[in-house]
Amino acid sequence: MAKEIERAGIPCSLISALFSLALTTGAPRVVRGARIEHVCGDPRLGSEKDREYGMRIVRTALKAIQTEVAGPTLFDPADPEPVKEASLAA
Amino acid sequence: MRIVHFLNQFFGGLGGEEKANAEVQVFDGPVGPGRALQRSLGDNDEIVATIVSGDNYFNEEKTRAVAAVEKALSTYKPDAVVAGPALNAGRYGLACGEVCVIAQRMGIAAVTGMFPENPGVLEYGRRAYIVPTGETPTEIAKQLDAMAKLALKLARGEEMGPADAEGYIPRGIRKAGLRDEPGAVRAVSMLAARLHGRPYKTELPIEMPEGIEPAAPFVDVTTANVALVTTGGLVPKGNPDRLVRGGAKEYFKYSIAGLDSMTPEKWECVHRGFYTDIVNENPNYILPLNIIRQLEGQGEIGKIYDLYFSTSGVGTTVADSKRLGEEIAREMKEARVDACVMVAT
Repeated sequence: MAKEIERAGIPCSLISALFSLALTTGAPRVVRGARIEHVCGDPRLGSEKDREYGMRIVRTALKAIQTEVAGPTLFDPADPEPVKEASLAA
Repeated sequence: MRIVHFLNQFFGGLGGEEKANAEVQVFDGPVGPGRALQRSLGDNDEIVATIVSGDNYFNEEKTRAVAAVEKALSTYKPDAVVAGPALNAGRYGLACGEVCVIAQRMGIAAVTGMFPENPGVLEYGRRAYIVPTGETPTEIAKQLDAMAKLALKLARGEEMGPADAEGYIPRGIRKAGLRDEPGAVRAVSMLAARLHGRPYKTELPIEMPEGIEPAAPFVDVTTANVALVTTGGLVPKGNPDRLVRGGAKEYFKYSIAGLDSMTPEKWECVHRGFYTDIVNENPNYILPLNIIRQLEGQGEIGKIYDLYFSTSGVGTTVADSKRLGEEIAREMKEARVDACVMVAT
């Protein structure tokens, strides 16, 4: 779905805990989510840190939208600066 | 032959999605479908142990899961490992593929089974022997039979023939050999067959996920109209449109105009592919409206589009996913959406 939205010319950040799979399927802008059962945060951190974590994830998604990519690329909220280029599995 | 069987928490009898975080556990002898597998094996073959892992645990705590599987395999020293079949269960397929890779690395023959569209095929199809299965376990005995046959053959060290003859999903490997006719003749026959509309078979199937040209970035998100999408099956409480829990062929859109947050009183998650209690307490984990609304208020986002798009992303075919994406993209274009944030569970 993300690929079709991108193909139509709308940049689409895909936040997923199964981020490596998202990259393999060819989604261009993939954001590393927390976990399958709570993708955009982590209730175990307590409400304040959970919110900070969620904020970091969403801001990373916004950064991805504003970043030029050539192919499937991982944006990791843990290190917002370096953007890792991920290549399709050979 | 000594066989070790790998299962997820569901087939391993631990429980459903509520046990998807269960750590790797090892049981002596066959468990669940392992009993059918045992019947497919020879008289001198025995399932010595069954490794069971929660689907989430295996994928989210991969280092630990891999170490636990390695430990179990060095303890039980099997001649072959049979994983699954994982059918059309994505996380299970990824785990089964990884288990095969671990076993092979330790010099142990390994076979799994999956529906050809299982994401595990995409990730491990070139590294593991995967028997094609249906989407559901209705024919599991037959599938286990095919997996057992292949596993024993590999364990005996017999030469493995081509994929279509042996009944596994092609691994993209070409072996040198002699054909009856030279390549030029075969190519011309194939072309002639194609021109005449007769059946023909390519000698080099290429099945890669379709590549796309990424969209240009939207350089200033502070002026963007941003739409939200979730594949987490988030719907208004009561599920008024009856969104299916899996295998969805449609999506729905719901208004979030004027809302600051997704509240458990008004929204619920109907996805069948993960344990939904955490999301049902706080739906913002699969549609982060609380955070994105705050960013909108702070001027970090231009505007959040008034409708969000929702489907339950589990067991949907690639073709249906593509169509849903196209339809959503068309609606977004008409609504002058500039950028999209999608959450996939």
